[in-house]
Amino acid sequence: MSFPILSLVTFFPLLGAILLIFIPKDKKGTLYTISLFVVVITFLVSLLLYFNFDSKTADPQFVENGAWLGYGINYHLGIDGISLFFVLLTTFLLPIALLSSWSYIQERIKEYLIFMLILETGIIGVFVSLNLFLFYVFWEAMLIPMYFLIGIWGGKRRIYATFKFVLFTMLGSLLMLVAIFVLYSFFYKATGIYSLELFDYYQLMLSPGLQIWLFLAFTLAFAIKVPMFPFHTWLPDAHVEAPTGGSVILAAVLLKMGAYGFLRFAIPIFPEAVAKFLPVLMVLSLIGIIYGGLMALIQKDIKSLVAYSSVSHMGLIMLAIFSLNIEATEGAIYQMLNHGLSTGMLFLIVGILYERSHTRLIKDFGGVSKQMPVFSAFFLVAMLSSVGLPGLNGFVGEITCFFGIFSSSRLFAILSISTVILAAAYLLWMFQRVMQGPITNEKVLSYKDMNKREIGYLIPIVIMMFWMGIYPQTFLRKMDASVAHYINRIKNKEKVFVLQPKNPADKYAKEKDLKPR
Amino acid sequence: MNSLYALAPLLTIVIGALLVLLLEAFIKTENKDYLAYVSLLLLIACAVVCVHFWNANFSYFDGMLHLDKLALFLTLLFLTAGAFVMLIGMKYIALQDANFGEFYALLLLALSGMMIMVSSVNFLVIFLGLEVLSVSSYALAGLKRKDEKSSESAIKYFLMGSFAGAFLVFGLALLYGASQAITIPEIISYFTAGSETQPMALIGLGMVVIGFAFKIALVPFHMWTPDVYEGAPTPVTAFFSVGPKSVGFAVLLRLFFSYWNGGFKSEVMHWLLWGIAVLTMVLGNLIALRQKNVKRILAYSSIAHAGYILVAILARDSASLVFYLTAYLFMNIGAFGALIALSKKGKEYLELDDFAGIGFTYPWIGATMAVFLFSLAGFPPTGGFLAKFYVFSAAVRQGLVPLVIIGVLASLISVFYYLRIIVYMYMKPPEREIDINLENPALFLVLFLCLYGVLQLGIFPGNILTIIKQAVSIF
Repeated sequence: MSFPILSLVTFFPLLGAILLIFIPKDKKGTLYTISLFVVVITFLVSLLLYFNFDSKTADPQFVENGAWLGYGINYHLGIDGISLFFVLLTTFLLPIALLSSWSYIQERIKEYLIFMLILETGIIGVFVSLNLFLFYVFWEAMLIPMYFLIGIWGGKRRIYATFKFVLFTMLGSLLMLVAIFVLYSFFYKATGIYSLELFDYYQLMLSPGLQIWLFLAFTLAFAIKVPMFPFHTWLPDAHVEAPTGGSVILAAVLLKMGAYGFLRFAIPIFPEAVAKFLPVLMVLSLIGIIYGGLMALIQKDIKSLVAYSSVSHMGLIMLAIFSLNIEATEGAIYQMLNHGLSTGMLFLIVGILYERSHTRLIKDFGGVSKQMPVFSAFFLVAMLSSVGLPGLNGFVGEITCFFGIFSSSRLFAILSISTVILAAAYLLWMFQRVMQGPITNEKVLSYKDMNKREIGYLIPIVIMMFWMGIYPQTFLRKMDASVAHYINRIKNKEKVFVLQPKNPADKYAKEKDLKPR
Repeated sequence: MNSLYALAPLLTIVIGALLVLLLEAFIKTENKDYLAYVSLLLLIACAVVCVHFWNANFSYFDGMLHLDKLALFLTLLFLTAGAFVMLIGMKYIALQDANFGEFYALLLLALSGMMIMVSSVNFLVIFLGLEVLSVSSYALAGLKRKDEKSSESAIKYFLMGSFAGAFLVFGLALLYGASQAITIPEIISYFTAGSETQPMALIGLGMVVIGFAFKIALVPFHMWTPDVYEGAPTPVTAFFSVGPKSVGFAVLLRLFFSYWNGGFKSEVMHWLLWGIAVLTMVLGNLIALRQKNVKRILAYSSIAHAGYILVAILARDSASLVFYLTAYLFMNIGAFGALIALSKKGKEYLELDDFAGIGFTYPWIGATMAVFLFSLAGFPPTGGFLAKFYVFSAAVRQGLVPLVIIGVLASLISVFYYLRIIVYMYMKPPEREIDINLENPALFLVLFLCLYGVLQLGIFPGNILTIIKQAVSIF
């Protein structure tokens, strides 16, 4: 038994949260020191995952597998090239989100930090679980801290937003739970073995009729989370109302859980149903791209503009995922990381601005760059990264996505390029109205430029943006094997499967031994 | 002599109840707590005996006393519930002007009734236990003698309870008339053997089910529940929501598991229960949405939970049913305990508005309440989630997919009102002065134990599951 590094990364924040309970609530400094210490340690430990990651194999690594409740419910953790970077993205952004909260969150700091740490455990747990029960536990448990983060520290309509967020997400995930039950019972009836292991379900051959229903249930859960059009309506509300730190995590990581769900669960388990629904899903993604972009154009509030830009960007990512080829999938994963960084940074930028102005309406600003030159530079980088300027990370991801989509469908590729045009339009226009031109609102004159703390937490993101834009190999090569394996699994499901419904159990047992687990 | 030995757990409680009743006369009002300690000792003694009997499998008097593992496990569960209720009630009855030692005696008697019901397969004895339970319950509901609502609650409970008892007896009469049998195995063997099943027997069975459905508060036999729960003293409500419900399900469990296992194929009973389960889950949750009083919300939520447990009966999975009852005990008594914590002399804070800001003014009470509510709503990693998981996955294995879909959607509705309480606790500023009595160590002990139970059952239920598996191995 090697060192349980994944468990450590997953549960260390939770331990930190438990520790925080015992710190008096008026000791702001101590509370922040401890929680920052915890998240930074978590990040450093998660770097070990990166450096020790073997990029040649598609098998899950750092596997921890232990019996938990019996009946197929195991404590099974592991990461491959697909999930590795989501874990890293989470651990990377958490310290930044916490630092950004230092002045934004003025009251109930202790509870805020506790919920942020619990949230980190929940998110990482989702990405490292290889057992469907475990996955579901993290998937649902993660809702609780997010519910409190939006509901307690949010804006005026926070209660509405947080209810909408929780109920939307739960609607999807409860139906997914039923689908998991069906898989569970189906597997039991076919083999006489209780299993909730993801890799067992990969080998399950389901009748097309059944696949469709199960796939729809999974799709609903993940599509709400992504969110895909027309399930996106919770997102602008949640984003606008959430505190900056919450928005960052929500946009940068939580949305990725939906897309990750497609990559990990919905598509590989039900490839035939995917093939059937592909046109619908691609059209919905495309509508998301265009609709999100157009909605972003007309937003008056910067934060909701960024929120709608997420809908548009996630549309492109989903389109790439549904193109079902290696380039597109790698592009999608890469673009998700980019989106995490750029949108996360945009939310941080909006937060910094809001702390000075207490407004987010575009019309209240104008000429801010004269007053805050350093801020302006950071804003520019974040925006250009989101638009996809060559040399920055967004470009690499988008271009890979477009290549991938193009090799599947030229029409969709051409139409999806509108995402770049729209992004340039709404972001540049917003930048122009907020940062440039004459100062119309005299309050702008009182804004102070960014302080050292704010510069400090934005710099790592900027460095990553350039790094990912200039030398993407660092990241892409780690995922090659896993993505190739994933595409291969979908395309050749017939060759991989070993299990037919109503086959005798012994046959399954024999073949199962042959398969590498 | 052996049979007397087997009666030991029951005798402990019954004699103890009479002893407490007798002592009551000699103890001054300010020393009533001693009665609680005596009663708790009795419960512990009884629990020790039950554990000692675990592998004994006594059956005497033609199944009138039938102490199998299931009976013992459920008895232990009831004893836990009883102990919790006594602990949360100790201070409450003193503060709320209901400081009568009879509280403990009646609770013990009610417990003895429940024990009789689970440790017998003879319907007459079960009915006897039910009456012992019911009569003590009526008295318990009216314990706050000067409170109109409490008396109303007692009367309502009494009327509805007698009505239900009548249904039960009439059903038993019909069953006996058709089958000449009064014990569960004989009745079942009549159903399984008889090629010429009479409608009379089926109607009798249906009426028996209705009789218990009143006790368990299944829709459409739930009308009494909210009023009775609201009016009764809160610890008693906590007891009602757990005790009679569990015992009703225990009897249905014994009845229907033999029934399904017997291979008797009656679509009628299946669809009857199916319909009741759907109605209970959906209506219980829907009506709870409109409530403003937390006690009433919990009353409706307990109706909805009965619906989920009924799914376990339909799923023919006894282990998940017993697990659900166990988890439900901890989370529901916990929630009521937190409710009782918000009280002072002569005043209880039960309205939703009272809860505004509680999460920050009383962080520990707020946090535990939130955990219980999340558990009731079925969020992982709590016992409530795992209980629902087992029940619903068993139901899907049994092919009841539409029922499960309705069930999860109903629990989605429930999320709304459970979260609404949390919204008040954490997301609204306090509206009025809440001044509560915090000197209540027994109550906080129960809150802590329930919290521990809910999390233990949600994260590491291994040992309990093993014991439950043993308990239901009789089927």
